[in-house]
Amino acid sequence: MALSLGDYAKGWFKHTNKAERIWLMAKIEFKLRYYENKMGLLWALMKPISDVLVYFIAFALILKVGSPHYVAYVFLGLIIFNYFGECSGGTIQLLQTKRYLYEYTNMDKLEIYLSVILSNFIGFLFNLIIFLIYCPFDGLSFDYHIIYLIPLFLTLIILALAFSLILSNLYLWAKDISQIWAIVASILFWLSPVIYPAEKFHTSLPWLEYMNPLSGLMMNARNILMYHAGIDWKLMGFDFIYALFFLLIGISLLKNLGPTASEKL
Amino acid sequence: METKDDIAIEVFKLSKTFHIRDDNYNTVKQRFFHLFNPAPIRSIHALKDIHLSIHKGECIGFIGGNGSGKSTLVKCMANVYQASQGYVKLTGTTMLMNLGVGMSHELTARENIYVSGSALGMKISQIDTIFNEVIEFAELQDFVNTKIKYYSTGMVQRLAFSIAAHAKADIMFLDEVFAVGDQTFLEKAVKVIEKSWLEGRTTIIVSHSMTLIQQYCKKVAYLKKGEMIYYGDPATAIAMYHQDNHHQS
Repeated sequence: MALSLGDYAKGWFKHTNKAERIWLMAKIEFKLRYYENKMGLLWALMKPISDVLVYFIAFALILKVGSPHYVAYVFLGLIIFNYFGECSGGTIQLLQTKRYLYEYTNMDKLEIYLSVILSNFIGFLFNLIIFLIYCPFDGLSFDYHIIYLIPLFLTLIILALAFSLILSNLYLWAKDISQIWAIVASILFWLSPVIYPAEKFHTSLPWLEYMNPLSGLMMNARNILMYHAGIDWKLMGFDFIYALFFLLIGISLLKNLGPTASEKL
Repeated sequence: METKDDIAIEVFKLSKTFHIRDDNYNTVKQRFFHLFNPAPIRSIHALKDIHLSIHKGECIGFIGGNGSGKSTLVKCMANVYQASQGYVKLTGTTMLMNLGVGMSHELTARENIYVSGSALGMKISQIDTIFNEVIEFAELQDFVNTKIKYYSTGMVQRLAFSIAAHAKADIMFLDEVFAVGDQTFLEKAVKVIEKSWLEGRTTIIVSHSMTLIQQYCKKVAYLKKGEMIYYGDPATAIAMYHQDNHHQS
């Protein structure tokens, strides 16, 4: 008899130690990333803050294209984009760096991906907390719409996991995928409303909101956290379908290329 | 009477072929420019049609010369390598130890114990209870919070073995792990392995030490050029190995 989704989920939390294991590995990964240098967690904050500063000077002060609450606007866009970047480009060599896990103890490779995505998500949440602390100083407040962050983050995690799977498995086939992805990521950055004011992005490239899942996620995150506007479900639906579509590709690659990882690396 | 439930590892018609290109086209650019002119592929038949049934609690030895396929067979059995043909059926958790594969060298002994123990299916609370035993057995009391990249090879092997023994992996693959480590540790390790057989756990030993194989293995597989020439009585397998070596020299 086929297991229901509920039984499967229960198995993860009750009958096996999978959930506990993923959390343990995520914590260790997080510690390795942020506590191994003198700046510690502050390091995680340095990049978005320095980027915000540069964009604020360039766009708001010099080019005068900023909008109200421009710092919060850019900061939120950047932390979403950086999370996606860390999970995609930052995990290209995952099957190489974590091979001790699946060779030594025959661990399910998907668990390794989940732990790394979760570890990055802890860093993302840390940045988000800083954003939430900053908001009242910029005259921003939140309401019950904040609950919509749950489906939004779920979509973001699925999308990040999908690209992590796709890129790290393609790395087995082509070692220069990281250089190629650096170019793609750069294009993606400039085709997402990270630094452009929303209305200008919407007027100039309206179709891109539905073609680039990161655009939708950024716009909805701002709707929820900055504009009390709730969520654009149509945009959200598109993003969720994109995320699932890419996840299917990623899982298929893991299933077909993943078993050869030990031989090819 | 032995039943199907007693089988820990079943290897059926296992073959492993490595397909190797003579050049190294491993970038998108190289693949694109050589799309219609791919380099010839060489096939190396590392394992040919291996059949094997290993029962729970058995200690099996794999012997053979360099390049005979012992380590490839172990990696296929541990699901590190994918079989080209046939299949491997495992019952229980596995742990593979060899000199190349190990724990994360960026982690401390403490972290490695928790990650490996958890990977073998233990809850954190269970790992807490065996933690001190693992450290004491590995004789690493003074290096618990040291990253293992600062350990000697022998220390890493002691730790890996200690985790496998205490975390009670159902199947242990020991690929030349006794080549390092001192005599005292070897004696301790062997005692633990002997105890594990009584608990129904299975051990596969790959070694060039015929003394070790003869002393502890119930059955021995002799491999030559990817084929399993003999599987059974250790003395016979070892005699065949020596005879072949003698002919070659």
